[in-house]
Amino acid sequence: MKLKSRSEYYDILIKGLWTQNPVAYQVLGICSALAVTVKMSTAIVMALALTVVTACSSMIISSMRKIIPSNIRIIVELAIISTLVIVTDQVLKAYFYDISKQLSIFVGLIITNCIVLGRAEAFALANDPIDSFVDGIANGLGYGLILVLVAFIRELLGSGTFLGFQVVPQFAYDLGFQNMGLMVLAPGAFFVIGLLVWLKNSLPGISSQKK
Amino acid sequence: MFDKNSKPHVIFFALVLSVVCSLLITAAATGLKDRQQENMALDKKMNLLQAAGLVDAGQKPGKDAINALYDERIEEVVVDRQGKVMETEDPDGMHLYFIHAPGSRDDHDFNDIAGYIVPINTRGLWGKIQGYLAFENDGQTVSGFSVFSHSETPGLGGEIESAWFRKNFKGKKILNSQNKFVSIGIAKGKAEDLPKDEQPNYVDGISGATLTGRYLSEGIKNTLMKYEGVSVAFRQKQLKAEDKHAGSIHSSNPSGD
Repeated sequence: MKLKSRSEYYDILIKGLWTQNPVAYQVLGICSALAVTVKMSTAIVMALALTVVTACSSMIISSMRKIIPSNIRIIVELAIISTLVIVTDQVLKAYFYDISKQLSIFVGLIITNCIVLGRAEAFALANDPIDSFVDGIANGLGYGLILVLVAFIRELLGSGTFLGFQVVPQFAYDLGFQNMGLMVLAPGAFFVIGLLVWLKNSLPGISSQKK
Repeated sequence: MFDKNSKPHVIFFALVLSVVCSLLITAAATGLKDRQQENMALDKKMNLLQAAGLVDAGQKPGKDAINALYDERIEEVVVDRQGKVMETEDPDGMHLYFIHAPGSRDDHDFNDIAGYIVPINTRGLWGKIQGYLAFENDGQTVSGFSVFSHSETPGLGGEIESAWFRKNFKGKKILNSQNKFVSIGIAKGKAEDLPKDEQPNYVDGISGATLTGRYLSEGIKNTLMKYEGVSVAFRQKQLKAEDKHAGSIHSSNPSGD
C-alpha cells in the first residue's frame, strides 16, 4: 500500500463534503438529520460522533476487506460498527462521563445511520484503509455540514437563538414577531433539507447533475 | 488459492468475528464497570443536590465537594405511607431523601428538616425518565427538579433536562387554591396562558414534545399520589407550627382529603 498524492485525497474529501454529499446527494442519514437538528449544539455533537465512527469503521472494514466473505458482508459490517460504537461509549462512560451523557441518545442513532454502513459498502470494501479513513472523515463532515446548516436555520427561526444564545431581540417579540413553531417539529426539517438539496443541486459548476 | 467465499471460511469467519466482538464488548463493560458506577453514583448525588437547590445549574463542583455536601445535607431514608421513617428495609417502603439544614444530619423531626426529595421514575416517550422533585418543608411548594436519566429526543423531549425547564418548577404548588391535591402538570404551551388559579400547578411545556410532557405529568402525579402521606405529614406539622404561632385553631382538615 502506498500513500496517494495530495490531490487524490483532496478529491475524496471534496466528493464527501460536497459533490456527493451524503445528505444532499446520496440522501442518507435523513432520519437522524430530522431528529437532532432542532438545536445547533446537538447537531454538532452528532456530526463529530458520526465523523469519528464512520472514519474508524471504514478503516477497520477496509483493512479486513480481503477476508470478509461477500455473502455475509452486511452483517459483518454491522457487527464491526456496533461493537466499535458500544466499546467507545463504554470507555466514554468511564472516563468522560459528561460527554457520554450528551451522547447517550445518539449511540443508537449512530449505529443505525445509513451513512456508516453506506460508506462501508460503497467505499471501504473496494479501497485501501487510508483512503477509506479519509472517505469516512469526508462523509462525516459532509453530513455535519448539512446538519449544522439545517440546525442553524431551525434554531434561529424556531427558537430565536443561536447555540442557545438569544439573538432575536425582545423588542421584535414585543412588536409581534413570533417563533416559527413548525421549525421545532420534524416536518420543519423536511422543508429545510428539501430546500437545501434543491439549492445545492441547482448551483452551477460542481453540481452533481452534470452528466 | 485462498477463497474468501468458501463455506468453511464463511463459518470460521463468522465464528471468529462473533467471539472477538463479544469479547471486546464484555471486556469493556466489565473492566470499566467500577469507574462507570462511581460516575453514576456521583451524577446521582449531583442531581439530588441540584434538585435541592444546593448546587446551581451552571456550577460544576469536584468529586470531593459533591460527596462532602451530599453527606452533610442529604439523607436517603425509607418511609411508610404516612411518612414515618422505617429502620429496616421494607418491601412496602418508599425511598425518600431528606434535605437537612447544615449540622443536623440525623434529626428526623419534621420540624427541623429543611425539605424532602421525591424520586420520580416514569416512562417517557422512548424510555424511562428518572428524576428528582424536591419540596420545601411546607409539603406543597416545589423547590427544584432535576432529571437523572432519560432517552427522549434531543432538542425536543430531551429539553426536560435543560436548565430553563428545570427552573420552571421552582415555587410551583401541588395544591390548588382550595388546598386540594392536584399535582404538577406540564402545560401545553406556556403556563401563563392558563387560567390564573391554575398557573401555580403548571409549568411551561416544551413545544414539539407534547407526549413527553404528558407522560412526565402522569408520572409525577402517580408518584406524588403515592407520596401524598409524606406531604400531608409535612403540611400538618406546618399548620401546627402556624397555629402555635397565631394562637388560633383550624377546625377544617388542613390536608384537604
